[in-house]
Amino acid sequence: MSVLIEATAPPSVEPRGALRSFLRHRMGVIGAAMLALAVFVAVAAPVLAPYDPYANVRVSILDIYQAPSGEHFLGTDDGGKDVFSSLLYGARVSLIAGFAAAAIALFIGGLVGIVAGYRGGWVGSVLMRITDFFLVIPDLALQIVLVAIIGPSLGTIIFVIGILGWTTTARLVRSQALTVRERKYVMRARAIGAGDAHILRRHILPAVLPLMLANMVLVISLAILSESTLAFLGLGDPTVISWGQMLNFAFGRGAVSAGAWWALLPPGFAIVWVVLGTTLLGTALEDALNPRLKRHHLEAAGSDVARGRDVPTLDAPTLAMTGSSADASPILRVRDLSIEFDTTAGPKLAVEGVSFDLNRGETLGLVGESGCGKTTTVLGVLRLLPPGGRVVSGSVWFDGDDLLGIDGPALRSFRWTRLSLVFQGAMNALNPVRTVGDQIAEAVRLHAPGTTKREAADQVAELLERVGIGRRRANEYPHTYSGGMRQRAMIALALSCGPDVIVADEPTTALDVMIQAQILELLGGIARDFGTGIIIVTHDLGVVAQVCDRVVVMYGGGVAEENQAATLFREPQHPYTQELLQSFPDLAHPDRPLRGIPGSPPRIDDMPVGCRFAPRCPHAFDRCGAERPPDYPAAGGRAACFLLDPEERGS
Amino acid sequence: MTEPLLRVEDLTKEFAGRATFGDLVRRRAVPPVRAVDGISFELRAGEVLAIVGESGCGKTTTGNLLMGLLRPSSGRVMLEGSEVGALSGRGLQKLRRRVQMVFQDPYESLNPRMRVHEIVAEPLRVHRVATSPEDLAARVATALTSAGLTPTDAYVDRFAFEMSGGQRQRVVIAAALALEPTLLVADEPVSMLDVSIRAEILNLLSGLAREQGIGIVMITHDLSTVAAYADRIAVMYLGRIVEHGPTRQVLADPKHPYARALLSVVPIPDPSVRRTPVILSGETPDPSRIPPGCRFHPRCPLAFDRCPTVDPPLFDVGPDHQAACLLVEADEHKQ
Repeated sequence: MSVLIEATAPPSVEPRGALRSFLRHRMGVIGAAMLALAVFVAVAAPVLAPYDPYANVRVSILDIYQAPSGEHFLGTDDGGKDVFSSLLYGARVSLIAGFAAAAIALFIGGLVGIVAGYRGGWVGSVLMRITDFFLVIPDLALQIVLVAIIGPSLGTIIFVIGILGWTTTARLVRSQALTVRERKYVMRARAIGAGDAHILRRHILPAVLPLMLANMVLVISLAILSESTLAFLGLGDPTVISWGQMLNFAFGRGAVSAGAWWALLPPGFAIVWVVLGTTLLGTALEDALNPRLKRHHLEAAGSDVARGRDVPTLDAPTLAMTGSSADASPILRVRDLSIEFDTTAGPKLAVEGVSFDLNRGETLGLVGESGCGKTTTVLGVLRLLPPGGRVVSGSVWFDGDDLLGIDGPALRSFRWTRLSLVFQGAMNALNPVRTVGDQIAEAVRLHAPGTTKREAADQVAELLERVGIGRRRANEYPHTYSGGMRQRAMIALALSCGPDVIVADEPTTALDVMIQAQILELLGGIARDFGTGIIIVTHDLGVVAQVCDRVVVMYGGGVAEENQAATLFREPQHPYTQELLQSFPDLAHPDRPLRGIPGSPPRIDDMPVGCRFAPRCPHAFDRCGAERPPDYPAAGGRAACFLLDPEERGS
Repeated sequence: MTEPLLRVEDLTKEFAGRATFGDLVRRRAVPPVRAVDGISFELRAGEVLAIVGESGCGKTTTGNLLMGLLRPSSGRVMLEGSEVGALSGRGLQKLRRRVQMVFQDPYESLNPRMRVHEIVAEPLRVHRVATSPEDLAARVATALTSAGLTPTDAYVDRFAFEMSGGQRQRVVIAAALALEPTLLVADEPVSMLDVSIRAEILNLLSGLAREQGIGIVMITHDLSTVAAYADRIAVMYLGRIVEHGPTRQVLADPKHPYARALLSVVPIPDPSVRRTPVILSGETPDPSRIPPGCRFHPRCPLAFDRCPTVDPPLFDVGPDHQAACLLVEADEHKQ
């Protein structure tokens, strides 16, 4: 699972990651450059401008609305002043108004948001109602009224824009403060004895500030736009030059009738330039800093199967397979499956050459520590790999069809009718506003369109009883169900279309032992009664011992060992299996000392050349560091370890 | 006998019940939810007590009461002679230095924006313990060393996301150790970790108890993880301790039917061990509707006629071993 977490982790947790993801937004870089140019022009206006627009010069009628020339790049305005110089100086006023108003808005918004989010309670409610109130008032109308009452000046404009522009910031900050307040690390800080001031300073602010930074840029652009609007409407300070003011004068004083486009277009263009720049920058920053805008991996639509995938033929590699059901043709055959993920260091293999079979009615355990590729393997089989992950080689044969070769609707119908998924978080995957029975009935009717309502209701009742939920509870909503019952309901949902295979990813991890025992008994019964093949992905060998017929132990993206469950527990062949068993608490032998496996599984960007387990293996020798061991038959199963090589044994 | 490190006397915690719409309409009084219902136990320095039970049994509420994060409705929590629930302000602040908590989820309980040294130094800063920056650094290094994160230099500048789950949990433990507490409350300290690293963390905790004399209360739903580490086990069901005794005895000869069932479903990594798990049907009932008589009787495979009417107290069933079951009472009379 950690492979997935690493691949999709929200960048906000990693400052450097945020910078990188910002730079990836070319638009954001362009926006930043556009804004930087505007700021540079504003600062350097006295140096760059050929004339001082504030200086009193005597003008003749001939100087008014002069067309652009070598002397005046952008012509002159109604007062005979150089438009180019006014434009440069106008940047100062427009940007100062924008920045100052944004600062006020951010201060108010940040304060309101943090207090409302962190303090909560009635104070929070009152503050948020006030925010809503400000949000619904038309800004422009109120701004005009306020400026008209107070009297137009640059200060007034800044003030008015500032006190009306804070609402979005307040809402954004509040929701972030609310989330962080509930985080475990804030609770831990409280348990340490930390006061509010400490928590606000050390935990809330650092989480809120990046969002405010992104928001700031957007508030600035709005403020600049507001200032221009007000000035254009004649509510600006007439003694200072801003872009809006330039437009106002040009319009009011006959630029249109004089055909003097040069007095109108440049200030308009300048406003668009800055607003566009800030918007581009703001959007990119928001993308990079706001984790909520990340896509969920199940929404991934792009192709998760590489185009040039090698497809081994079915009969080519046969496995050293054992067991009573080995003759019957397996329902699922995974052969040489390799999956790669894009990492910062380029694509890396997360799963390499994984092969296994699943027979009908069989329960197969896929075991290993987190980060060993178990979940990635099943997501690859189910074609649900997150973005950045793809199957590069291998095949998945499902009852004779190559699952990796189909796409679109065919794949969708396959996924639910023949292959169902129950996963750990699925307990929260029920729709809270519809009854459980309703949701199961929907699945039943979706896949068998001819079913009448009554037939569907009967089937729902049957399914619920099969998973141990009384039929009368079909009409209840998921929130009245406990965690264990929701997991049962999910299993009923998975069963609703009579699948051939159910994949259960850590189906009991968040549950109590007693509930875990109930769910495992249920899954075992389903395999027995319906002949469904079940794959249980887990890190818990106890779960495997309780229900699995056969076990595939994965390590570092490959199969370390495969065998019948009973044999595997009695005679583990691979040192990794042995170590894993050693670290499992065993109440049957409470005196056996428990020890963990020192170190952790290899990361996908740092895979050992030889045996993947060699760095942690107590029996590793020279060959293990240099070569990757193939599968050797052992104890009726197979294990990838040189200790099992007949030649090594001979020496 | 000297005063134990921790003494819990008849501790009870009630929460206000949540009224449904029907309750409001009928003006029906809403019964309080009794999450913890009169539990008592003691813990000596250097001892590890495991509180075991399913969700809804009140074990986490008990932990919060021990931490002083909640105030008891009645009963007392005495830590080194002072009453935890009676403290407020400065007194509570001082208490917090002596009781620290290890949280369940090392992925969530570390601030992703802070480096390890900041995380471990945080409690020291909050309580203004360090006398100088050098002292602060030294205390952080000591805590990291105690938590097994050595060489400390290799860890102090890391962020949580740069570490494995086991390392993160060690950082959580180091932060708890920074204030040199006398009592650690560990709420499911390993349930989010891979099985392969659970042993390390549990070995670390029990080592702290043995070597530094810290008392540890370990709260868990999983008997197997504490079997090798706890000195004593208290099994909780619906707010009560139903069985309490030395780990060996409770595991070898559980007396309460609930403890037996809980033990029977613990997975054993050996399919050849034949046993019949007692899988109880249903789940722990809602603590706002505690069954009359013995609270376990509706799910008990051995319940008889008296169980729905008599609420059994804890009976002695062996040295320092008690169980709250009428069947045990019957045995006691026979002897």
